[in-house]
Amino acid sequence: MFTKFKKSSITLFLDPSSIQEISIETNKKIDIVLSPSLYWVKKLSLPVKSVREVKKLLESIFEDTLLDGDYSYSAYKKGNDFFVFAYEDKKILEQLTKAGISPSNVSSIHFAQSEIEDIEIPLKINNTQSIYIKDDILIVVPTAWLSESEELNLDNIKLSKHTIKLQQYGHIVKNSSLYKIGTILSILIIIIIVEIFITSSKISTIEDKKEKLFTKYRLQPTMIQNKSTLKKYTKIYKRQTKLRKYISYFLTLKLKNDQKIDTISYKEKKLNVKISATTQNNMNSILSQLDAKNLTYTKSLKNNTLYIEVNL
Amino acid sequence: MNNINPLHIGALLIVTLIFSLFELHGTKNRLEDAKQEYRSVEKIAIEVNSIKKVYADKNKIRNSISRILKQPLLKPAQLNIKRSKESIKIESKSINSIALNSLIGKVLNGSFNITELKIKKIDKENASLKMEIKW
Repeated sequence: MFTKFKKSSITLFLDPSSIQEISIETNKKIDIVLSPSLYWVKKLSLPVKSVREVKKLLESIFEDTLLDGDYSYSAYKKGNDFFVFAYEDKKILEQLTKAGISPSNVSSIHFAQSEIEDIEIPLKINNTQSIYIKDDILIVVPTAWLSESEELNLDNIKLSKHTIKLQQYGHIVKNSSLYKIGTILSILIIIIIVEIFITSSKISTIEDKKEKLFTKYRLQPTMIQNKSTLKKYTKIYKRQTKLRKYISYFLTLKLKNDQKIDTISYKEKKLNVKISATTQNNMNSILSQLDAKNLTYTKSLKNNTLYIEVNL
Repeated sequence: MNNINPLHIGALLIVTLIFSLFELHGTKNRLEDAKQEYRSVEKIAIEVNSIKKVYADKNKIRNSISRILKQPLLKPAQLNIKRSKESIKIESKSINSIALNSLIGKVLNGSFNITELKIKKIDKENASLKMEIKW
């Protein structure tokens, strides 16, 4: 049974025995008052001062009372006594779903115990059941047992601050597990962020060291220029090494007694050697010595003079 | 019921974790790139510096050549030496074989950029010489 309370915000009495789907504007907020059928309640006098201390004891208080299930607990103090509650989030959520109420539309959830306190005549909550107060506890009884009862009217009820918040997935993962997982994930994220900062710092250090290299080795401003310079001087180095090697080849040639190296010249990357008194026969001897050194050259024999040209 | 769904927070944490991992991966890659680039720049810097000391250090090269040319052995060759900003040219119309061997031996064993060389035999003991060294 759902009883409309206000036009601006709606207050509904949620009872599993009278569920019927209702249509509510999507932006309307709903205050839910839970039927005693949806929770367990005890009134206790405990040697503690605050609700916070009581909450630590709730699980053990209900230990022997509750059936199997995933329960959440709540408590509030009234006078010198504590009212303690146990309820199943999943069960309440199911009732809301059956009633066609989205959890996002629910503004607050209250226990009927805290909202319907001062009633003198039992109140009907559905066709067969009524609620009334016995020993300060609001209970559900068959209407047939009662001699008189009135319709439940929430018009004059001012909702208290005693509310609960449902754990939508509490039956899947316990809050403590969620906190642990959340803590582990948060720690991992922090470690990774710190690692990112450390790595970024290392990158900056390397960039600084790279800049210092330019100063230390008097490099040109861009690496293209430096590579070009290196290429230029590497070419010079290779060419000069070849020049010295090839000159040594010619200077160590085994020549016939009358043969002489007349000229050695090097210009524009070409090494020219002129050997006099060379015939066709002893030219082959010279060339075979050069071939043995894997030297690439061009040759010509004119007037008994052998001209050899090597490109460097 | 308006409290934040813990699973939403969990999903947010997982998304943040994945994003952080991607960012870390990218940063690690950038670090590796920076290291490689540093090694590359350092290698080129050392090579350029070393090779320029050999072939582009004008004063060092000029001093080395001057020392070689001061040999008393070369006096009879009457070397014609022309120095410019970029090079030194050495010429002799007649240099004896001992002086020539000494001069050429020292030049070839040194790290000079010889851009021109001409040794032409004149007679059994003498030759003409033309040589240019650049820096």
